[in-house]
Amino acid sequence: MTTGKTPSIILGFSGGDKLKTGSFLVNILTTLALHILELRNLSFTYRGTSDPALKQVTYTHNHGEFTVIMGATGAGKSTFCRCLNGLIPTFIKGDFQGHLKVTDLDPQEKHQVYELARRVGLVFQDFEAQLFSTNVELEAAFALENFAVPQEKMADRVQSALHQVGLTGFENRDPSTLSGGEKQRLAIASVLAGRPDVVVMDEPTTDLDPIGKRDIFALAKSLRNEIQGIILVEHETEHILNADRVLLMVNGAIINEGPPTTILSQPDYLEQHGVRPLQTTVLLQRLGLPTESLTISDAVSNIQAAGWRINEGACQSLEQTEVTTDKMNTVVRIQDLVHRYDQAKAAVDGVSLEVYQGEFVAVVGQNGCGKTTMVKHLNGLHKPTHGTVEILGKNTTEWTLSELGKRVGFVFQNPDHQIFANTILEEVSFGPQNYGLSKEETEKKVLHALDIVGLAGQEDQDPFSLTKGERQQLALASVLATDPDILILDEPTTGLDYHGQTAILQLIRQLHEAGRTIIIITHSMWVVAEYASRCIMMSQGKVVKDSSVRTCFEDRDLLESLHLESPEAVRIGQAFGVTVRSIEELITCLEK
Amino acid sequence: MFLYLPNNTLLHQIHPSTKIIGLALLLILTVAFESPWHQLIILSGVLILVKTSGAAKNIRRVLPLIITVMLFSIITWSLFKRIGDPFWGYGPFTLSKDSIQFGFAMGFRLDAMLLSGMVFVSCTKVEEFAYGLRAVGLPFPVSFALSLAFRLVPLFFTRIGIIVQAQQSRGLDLQSGHVFQRAKKYVPLLVPIFVYAIRDTDLLSMALESKGFGMRGERTEFLIFRMAWYDYTILTCLLAANVLTWVLL
Repeated sequence: MTTGKTPSIILGFSGGDKLKTGSFLVNILTTLALHILELRNLSFTYRGTSDPALKQVTYTHNHGEFTVIMGATGAGKSTFCRCLNGLIPTFIKGDFQGHLKVTDLDPQEKHQVYELARRVGLVFQDFEAQLFSTNVELEAAFALENFAVPQEKMADRVQSALHQVGLTGFENRDPSTLSGGEKQRLAIASVLAGRPDVVVMDEPTTDLDPIGKRDIFALAKSLRNEIQGIILVEHETEHILNADRVLLMVNGAIINEGPPTTILSQPDYLEQHGVRPLQTTVLLQRLGLPTESLTISDAVSNIQAAGWRINEGACQSLEQTEVTTDKMNTVVRIQDLVHRYDQAKAAVDGVSLEVYQGEFVAVVGQNGCGKTTMVKHLNGLHKPTHGTVEILGKNTTEWTLSELGKRVGFVFQNPDHQIFANTILEEVSFGPQNYGLSKEETEKKVLHALDIVGLAGQEDQDPFSLTKGERQQLALASVLATDPDILILDEPTTGLDYHGQTAILQLIRQLHEAGRTIIIITHSMWVVAEYASRCIMMSQGKVVKDSSVRTCFEDRDLLESLHLESPEAVRIGQAFGVTVRSIEELITCLEK
Repeated sequence: MFLYLPNNTLLHQIHPSTKIIGLALLLILTVAFESPWHQLIILSGVLILVKTSGAAKNIRRVLPLIITVMLFSIITWSLFKRIGDPFWGYGPFTLSKDSIQFGFAMGFRLDAMLLSGMVFVSCTKVEEFAYGLRAVGLPFPVSFALSLAFRLVPLFFTRIGIIVQAQQSRGLDLQSGHVFQRAKKYVPLLVPIFVYAIRDTDLLSMALESKGFGMRGERTEFLIFRMAWYDYTILTCLLAANVLTWVLL
């Protein structure tokens, strides 16, 4: 597609004489210049593997275009990105076939990464691993030094890039002291300073909290007017409505492309290919309405126009069926908890709360608000600076770490932080063996845990051969094998595609329904809305709201002040004057 | 570097090459003497550098190590070094005036080395270190790789911290058992640590390549340092001290 903008390369021909004498030539050049990237029948197979990661990919990127690539894990999105700046096949070896033309470079010649990198800037998902300087300014200048930009021009280019990403004033800050969103914006600035024609961002928001995500999408939107092209790999459908084009990748191939209205209006199709569909389109489809309305305001107008309205009685009955917790059995009691790292400001600052047997609690808030620090007190990984934490009626200082770990299971965000064994059986047996269980008992518990997570029968498989979603399930199984009363999960859906997310969430729901107390830390508000029964909102180390999930979502001012965004289902419901937690609830409330 | 303390002292301002060469000359000077009095003079000089560079904050963090090194050195050298006339002995242990003096000299020397290294890392950014290495003739990839090692230390330790906690949450007890049992317990930590070290290195290499790291030919510098009169003065003094010491003593 074209954006109607005049490519800057053509502006050089605006001199009257040249235009008069060469309008034909200008037309040809205009057409050629519109295609700043061109891939034809591109295939790539990583060395040591047999299945191609990219299969016959054909794609042209037009001047000024903002393209989003979607697809499940293993669809080839990152491989695609790494081909564009030459990391593949120059740095990452394998069988590379096909044709790649990048801006003005001769496609017949082999180009080094640095040649392509000047034209195509690549931003990676993991911002920690791509920042290596001691201050923001030096980080942004690194590429300029390599590209031999004259020293007198560097300061201006660094300032300009920092201004583009909103980091003016941060020049002397150590990157390690920045928030996740700021770090990722710095990573983008360090690429922008090199003034590439195209910026490619490979899942830049995966590890970010809601405000960090919002900032990156706002930045991508603003950059489209300043550089020649943006390509962004993303899972979250709602944020890509501003794109010009969406590519859907499956098993290394582009199976569909078009404007967001075309691709995103097919909820079943997206779900089938591992992409979470927009809740607006799911609702419209369930109501038998056309699914082209992607925004909430359009969807609400169409639903109302079709004669749907709220059934007050049905809504009230929903609230009455709200899960009520038996507050007799307290499993966690936190009193006036304060935690400080060194002499720094309190990471947890005077938190008091109780968690009851069988609750499903979601803890939400921005990065650095103290969520993880707080829950790490529950299994003894942190000791309170002040205050007390009781688990099952006993102060954590009276438990040994081993006893506490048996009662409170903690699943870390990244399964790769714990996987070490040669087989799945050995991996899951690690916990029970540490707790001194007999061989028979260990085997019984391990097989039961593997059965719960769906990995039964694969006991002898190498854990590292599993997909990220399966490794997350394995991490859960290795904690379940110790049969804990309380299960804590830190960001269990991060880095997983939609199928992986729903699989792990269904597992957690089953464990909750079987009577376990669940505490989950998450940035995904749709997970809170659809799975949790209670929501604890934290800000700057304090609990600012602790109530049922429905009540939390009713407090729109607070959500906004914490930069937390309700899921679409909640916002659509609120447009109708009710607070619902899911599309199913909304459908229950609507009548014709 | 990860212990860098932003400040505006003279030691922060001197040319990175002066810092590197100066540190090397200071270390060479410390090995020239075996007298505790000479070593004490050098250590006192280094302590003045600690004070004037504002590095005391970092020194406080490693004070137990510095004291341990000093005491360990004094005790072991005094007991095992067989010089002079012993005035006490028991089995393999002996004590003489000379061995005690030697023990003190070694303790002062090791602490002077440690402290001067701490002053260096407290006053030198990674980029300055790399610049200094290039200025003394090292190729850019080598100087960058050396400086990067310092930068990656905190990231590496953060990863290790998370991995240790993840395994402790599954009942791994690193405290109990004798030395061999404890060594065995580190196996569940090593695999994820290596996996992450390889993964981080791979990602970092790609990020570097994507920013033109492998570009051939001259590169330019964002930070420019120029040698000032105080650089020449410092280097001249240290060089003269070394020449006098090694030639005249």
